[in-house]
Amino acid sequence: MVVKNVVCPVCGGSCEDIQVELKDNSITVKNACKMGNGKFQEVVSEHRIKDPMIKKDGKFVKVSWEEALDKAAEILANSRRPLLFMGSETSCEAQEVGLHMGEYLGGVVDSNATICHGPTCMGIQEAGLPTSTCGVAINRSDLNIYWGTNPLASMPRHMSKYGLFPRGYWTKRGRFDRKVITVDPRKTDTAVASDLHIQLQPNSDYELLNALLTILNGKTPHHSVEQVTGIAISVMEEMVDMMLEAKFGSINVGLGAGSSFGKHRNIEMALNLVKELNNNHGTKFRIGALRGHCNVAGFNQIATYLYGYPFALDFARGYARYNPGETSCVDLLREKDVDAALVLGADLVGHTPADSAKYLCQIPMVCIDIAPGPTPSGADVLLPGVIDAFECDGTFYRLDNVPVYFEPFTDSPFDFTKSNEDTMKQLFAKVKELKEKA
Amino acid sequence: MAEVKLTPNKEIDLKVEADVITPDEFAGKGKSEIEQLLVWQGPSQYPLSDFFDVEGEGGSSAEDTTIVINGDVSRVKLIGAKMTAGKIIVKGSTGMHVGSQMAGGEIVVEGDADSWPGMEMTGGVLHIKGNAGDHVGSAYRGSWHGMKGGRLIIDGNARSQIGGGMTGGEIIIGGSIENFCGIRQTGGLIVVKGNAIRAVGAEMSGGTIVIGGNIQKFTPGMQNEGEESDLEFEDIKCSGTFKKFRGDFAIAKNPKGIVYAGKETNPDL
Amino acid sequence: MKFLLNTGSTIDEGRLAKGGNKYSEEYKKECAVCWISPEDFDLLGCPEKVKVTSTDGRYSIVVNTKCTDRVMCGNIFMPRAIWSNVVVNPWTFSTGSPLYKGSPVTVEPSDDEVLDAEDVVLKLYYGGE
Ligand code: SF4
Repeated sequence: MVVKNVVCPVCGGSCEDIQVELKDNSITVKNACKMGNGKFQEVVSEHRIKDPMIKKDGKFVKVSWEEALDKAAEILANSRRPLLFMGSETSCEAQEVGLHMGEYLGGVVDSNATICHGPTCMGIQEAGLPTSTCGVAINRSDLNIYWGTNPLASMPRHMSKYGLFPRGYWTKRGRFDRKVITVDPRKTDTAVASDLHIQLQPNSDYELLNALLTILNGKTPHHSVEQVTGIAISVMEEMVDMMLEAKFGSINVGLGAGSSFGKHRNIEMALNLVKELNNNHGTKFRIGALRGHCNVAGFNQIATYLYGYPFALDFARGYARYNPGETSCVDLLREKDVDAALVLGADLVGHTPADSAKYLCQIPMVCIDIAPGPTPSGADVLLPGVIDAFECDGTFYRLDNVPVYFEPFTDSPFDFTKSNEDTMKQLFAKVKELKEKA
Repeated sequence: MAEVKLTPNKEIDLKVEADVITPDEFAGKGKSEIEQLLVWQGPSQYPLSDFFDVEGEGGSSAEDTTIVINGDVSRVKLIGAKMTAGKIIVKGSTGMHVGSQMAGGEIVVEGDADSWPGMEMTGGVLHIKGNAGDHVGSAYRGSWHGMKGGRLIIDGNARSQIGGGMTGGEIIIGGSIENFCGIRQTGGLIVVKGNAIRAVGAEMSGGTIVIGGNIQKFTPGMQNEGEESDLEFEDIKCSGTFKKFRGDFAIAKNPKGIVYAGKETNPDL
Repeated sequence: MKFLLNTGSTIDEGRLAKGGNKYSEEYKKECAVCWISPEDFDLLGCPEKVKVTSTDGRYSIVVNTKCTDRVMCGNIFMPRAIWSNVVVNPWTFSTGSPLYKGSPVTVEPSDDEVLDAEDVVLKLYYGGE
């Protein structure tokens, strides 16, 4: 049977137009990109983690669900300061349980944003977010700026669905009604497909943004900026002209801006640029982060409405405190300032720097995941994950912070858990039991 | 003047938050009362004596109380937070937030300090003889106002976001610094003897920054205003010739922030 | 030689990682790779494999090379994966986010074996200092 309008759980694009046909041992997928398709194949894959496991003497042994869950609860309940990492490849509903468990245990709860668009969230806190949904950009934008992002690799359908090609109310001719500027030190496929490629020196995004704003304010930037960014001031002026000529511009920032030197200051400056364009120059702009991970926006949303901060929440004193660099995952692990961890749907061992990854492997770690990889290898208890949007329902937030409710096209392959939310709830109940006994 | 001596008595694994280590808290307390003051480690609270041997007792008031920490406390945070008077001497390195929001008195750290020393301080003197981390004398996350008064002296190097949102007081750094020194500064004075990497005075609209050494990547929104020699700011003197800049024009049409950069050390500016 | 390391996604890295194939030969072929500009590649002596070492010299990783004009002189690119993250600078500038883009690293030709992802975990992270 062909199921239509399935939501893809892979990147922040949350494409909701996927068609799947599930047969016994195969799945046919339409409309998804290469990356999305990769994950859909996971439903029938050989390597799927199917059994709960506990590491004994350095080797994983299969155990019953109850035994694995007990051991996992024991690790968390005995910890003096646990780190709960709610990854992006799962629903808000599962992440929410993690937040409550973190509050209950007085631990730290963090999510993929911390190693992804965390600085973007911080920049927004400093400068505010002049934004819109992608729909507005589709209908209005005649200029698209990709800043420090290569959507053809990180969100493959961004250009066709949201950015460049879609035909909208005021953009009836699609690509022909739009100009594209790409700011990237690398000549990416996206850069090649652009009208203007600003190939700046790495780690000079802040200077370029600062110079663009200086030009908007009617001054010539200090001459040293040419050498710092590798971009001639005349080219910057050309870029500013393109922006001023646009009726509606859409800036999409990626990790190239948020993760290079300058971090949240880069984003803050980009936000200031958008504000300045909107306020004083007779044009309209929006800005949005291109969020590569599936539901990374969701954690920021629910953590903010539940506890006031978008990530790196430290519950040690019973209420949430927030200080990236102090209460954020990579720093806590590097500083050895937690003593156990729960990792749900994220490859922390693979995607944090060596010092942090190494410490994570040394402390007791519970991992909920669907396929083998560095984090499952480093775990002490491994609980099989359920694939959101394939096997259970729930909510993701799209890259533009629009919530998308998804329904499954098949069931959880396990009789012991219906979803990651279910697993988290079962685990939380056990943790409470242990804590109350003690 | 009464003196309380704290000697670390064990290796600390998870970091400890000890905002009770201030002359204000210790004043009027005897040895056993000080020993019973509670500090945080993760979500649990423990008496101070679990981590320190306590000798001596507090004076009659904060002014009257000196605390000497005899050893390395680089995993202890918030020492001297919100203190208003008296003195703390740390004979080693401290963790984050030393002298955070301090309003008066004096702290001397003989080793290094981790990030956030003197955050939003309003008065007193914080002297770090070694190096310091990020956010020296800066505003807290999301706050617009950093250090408002007092003096912060660092003999060694400091890293990024020094004096972020600073509105008053002085920061004097003997060594070199990294990025975004004086970001969003609106008042006060920052003097750096050594070099800076990038974005000095970015988004500043008031106040003064002096960089004696070389600035690797200059802030584009700064506009040249000639040269000045032998600067004097009350008791703080900076000898030599400096190039003078006003900015940051990226953030405002008529900003009043001033950056002085050593003339000989910055031939390209 | 000293370089600035840029890391990021590539389409096949994404396809394989999302497909749960992090321990496959294909993933290793796509991700255990260092992209070098033609000029730098020549200067290094056109090596088949290079050892990339972290800023503080404490960690290094051996990967295959790919000579391409897609990166600028003085920069290298590695797909975001366990290999690149071994040498990414763990310092976060008090933001929580390490220097995935722009970590200073050193690169030298090498004849050592390119480790599988699983071996990186077992040998580097479990194998002690
Ligand atoms: S663009 Fe993203 S959400 Fe859309 S199909 Fe590809 S991976 Fe899935």
